[in-house]
Amino acid sequence: MSVVPQVQRKPDLAARYNPRSGLRPATTAPLVVVDGVAKAFPRVQALHSLSFSIRAGERVALIGPSGSGKTTLLNLLSGMEQPDAGRLSIEGKFLSQRMPRRELSRLVGLIHQQYDLVPQLPVAHNVLAGRFGHWGFFRSALSLVWPQDYPLAQAALERMGIADKIQERTSHLSGGEQQRVAIARAIVQSPRLVLADEPVASLDPARAEEILRLLADLTFNSGSYSSASASSGESGNTLVASIHSTELIRRFFSRVIGLREGRLQFDLPAAELTPALLNDLYDLGDDDFSHHLA
Amino acid sequence: MSRARKLLESRHLLSLLLLGAVVWSFVSVNWGGPIVHTGGGEAAWRFLLALFPPELSPGFLLICLEAAWQTLAYALAGLTVAVFVGFPLGVIASGVVVAPSSRRRIPLILGVRFFLGGIRAVHELVWATLFVAAIGLSPLAAILALGLPYGGILGRIYAEFLQEAPPEPVRALRAAGASPMQTLLFGYLPMCLPDLVSYTFYRFECAVRAAAILSFVGVRGLGYEIQLSLGDLLFRQVWTLLLVLVAIVALVDLWSGRVRRSLLTS
Repeated sequence: MSVVPQVQRKPDLAARYNPRSGLRPATTAPLVVVDGVAKAFPRVQALHSLSFSIRAGERVALIGPSGSGKTTLLNLLSGMEQPDAGRLSIEGKFLSQRMPRRELSRLVGLIHQQYDLVPQLPVAHNVLAGRFGHWGFFRSALSLVWPQDYPLAQAALERMGIADKIQERTSHLSGGEQQRVAIARAIVQSPRLVLADEPVASLDPARAEEILRLLADLTFNSGSYSSASASSGESGNTLVASIHSTELIRRFFSRVIGLREGRLQFDLPAAELTPALLNDLYDLGDDDFSHHLA
Repeated sequence: MSRARKLLESRHLLSLLLLGAVVWSFVSVNWGGPIVHTGGGEAAWRFLLALFPPELSPGFLLICLEAAWQTLAYALAGLTVAVFVGFPLGVIASGVVVAPSSRRRIPLILGVRFFLGGIRAVHELVWATLFVAAIGLSPLAAILALGLPYGGILGRIYAEFLQEAPPEPVRALRAAGASPMQTLLFGYLPMCLPDLVSYTFYRFECAVRAAAILSFVGVRGLGYEIQLSLGDLLFRQVWTLLLVLVAIVALVDLWSGRVRRSLLTS
């Protein structure tokens, strides 16, 4: 495993880019750099030497058949797993096992496919988990009795349209509502890069559209809620989500990356996605490593 | 032959060996012999008849009440010590708050597990004789004698519950920047609380019985009174005391069921 020392930090141009001002510097350093990343699992290779970069404010759709490595890529980008080779950086900072968790939580947040909330807790606590990176142990222990930064949770849930559920036990919420709680957690966490693993896989078309609108909206208006937090300078969240629907990709994303068998098959503006490209991508052939990756 | 089949056969072999061991242990017990009490049948009959009715005089009931109170107090105090011993050690033994990258992880976890195993391997009666020898016939000896082995048991079971908690929510918390202690507070504990509480209540039941037994090393309580009455062959009194013990255990059971239900539905 390669543990990369944090040297040669690039000038932080991406951080200066403010989407609300509408001005983009002529040369923008990419927010995310994926450089020759490979990851193998027992018996299969999940990713083969993948390289690309993402600028701040981009909304990237990841598509590909199951087993193509989408989830693996998202896990690597989230810093929860480490690549076997190559390296990833966000805002010029290389992700490694040694990166403090709180620093990582300010860079990147991941919304899981099954939302993965703690069902026994009230909604407020699940949302405020997004603040853990900012809290010490005593503040979070206090929060169990006296929820800290409560207005942040209220504001985030209001944006998700479920402010009335804040006191409710999370397990009592419907799937769609839990999805919103997970997004509210990401809002409160307010990372530079938001990742979402199949955010609409289990939703009906109308709900899927709503959720994607909320996620896409997140990438533009981040300044308005993060101003309430300590990290008020941050703005312009960037989104990477795995998704299957061409129509939704065209409507809500600016760029689409096609993965197949752990390789980059194409990388295009979302508008240029054609049925022919998709057919090519989903034609699995005789490969069956879809069983090994969820 | 497939691997699965081989595995199955080796399992059958193991079952046969275990069965053999059980049979052998029954055979090797010396059943016959002169130790059988010839008047035993009559004694048992007399004991059974004493149930109708048990001793219910107000004076004796007052004694029962006081003894029950003492036994409950010992059980509660002992269990409190056990929770204070078992909870922190169980959390460490489960490994959920020890950073995976830490080099001290394995020695720490193994050390704590070894310690927990050690203190629960010794029965509370043995602990009691040790403590009575060390500090004398004080309530402290009884409380420690209960608290240590029960702490060992609680620690081990707590660790198992924590390890069996669903991993996904915890992973999501970590991805949101949670430290191990924060995942404990907001992930493991809320998810495991009903199990932890209900097991602790079950152990409280056991502690009530154990506290009664501790009278054999001279601690006051239900067991002490049973011993006295039995010594005087006052079987009606023995029955009353036994019924009080059963009632306490049943009450604790009822109470724990209520608490558990409220935890599950709130």
